[in-house]
Amino acid sequence: MAETMTATTTPPLRLGQKVPDFELVTFEPSKGDFGKFSLRDQIANKRWTLLFFYPADFTFV
Amino acid sequence: MGCDIVTVSTDTQFTHLAWQRSEKELANVKYSMGADPTAKVSRMFGVYNEDNGLDLRGSFLIDPEGRLMGSEMNFYNLGRNIEEQLRKFKANIYMAKKGGNEVCPSKWKDEGDKTLVNPGAKMVGKVHEALQGP
Repeated sequence: MAETMTATTTPPLRLGQKVPDFELVTFEPSKGDFGKFSLRDQIANKRWTLLFFYPADFTFV
Repeated sequence: MGCDIVTVSTDTQFTHLAWQRSEKELANVKYSMGADPTAKVSRMFGVYNEDNGLDLRGSFLIDPEGRLMGSEMNFYNLGRNIEEQLRKFKANIYMAKKGGNEVCPSKWKDEGDKTLVNPGAKMVGKVHEALQGP
């Protein structure tokens, strides 16, 4: 693992502000199939979202 | 809780599938596993490391209106405390439900917790007393 971190130049999201819409292709273990996540669907369905980023599959989370 | 958990790494959905099927710790996983091989979403949240193509350990809570309500980032060597994540999560959802001026201090645990306080002029210099509850 790198001992340093080079961040990207995009301005950081700020707390309390709207997150721009985004999409992710997903694997859905409950269905054993691939799926799609989008923020606009979450907003349409009035759902909270917890995004949990981690470095890599096959390692500890 | 009216909430969906989505885990995200720069692996593809195919790798997620293979990992979930081979790792016994993940046998009962219910959450969605998001694939971000282009790091587009990871960059947006500031967790992408250009040096090695991997995401940092970042957690972000988004409310039903699409607003960012919580963010936490740890370096690679520190895991996250799931209980603390859930506590903050429940507190956010509780406050959104209640509305108004109520806040959840650091030791707030669950709905009905008496440590909940209403900040205002009366509380200035009296935080200790307010935290003792009614």
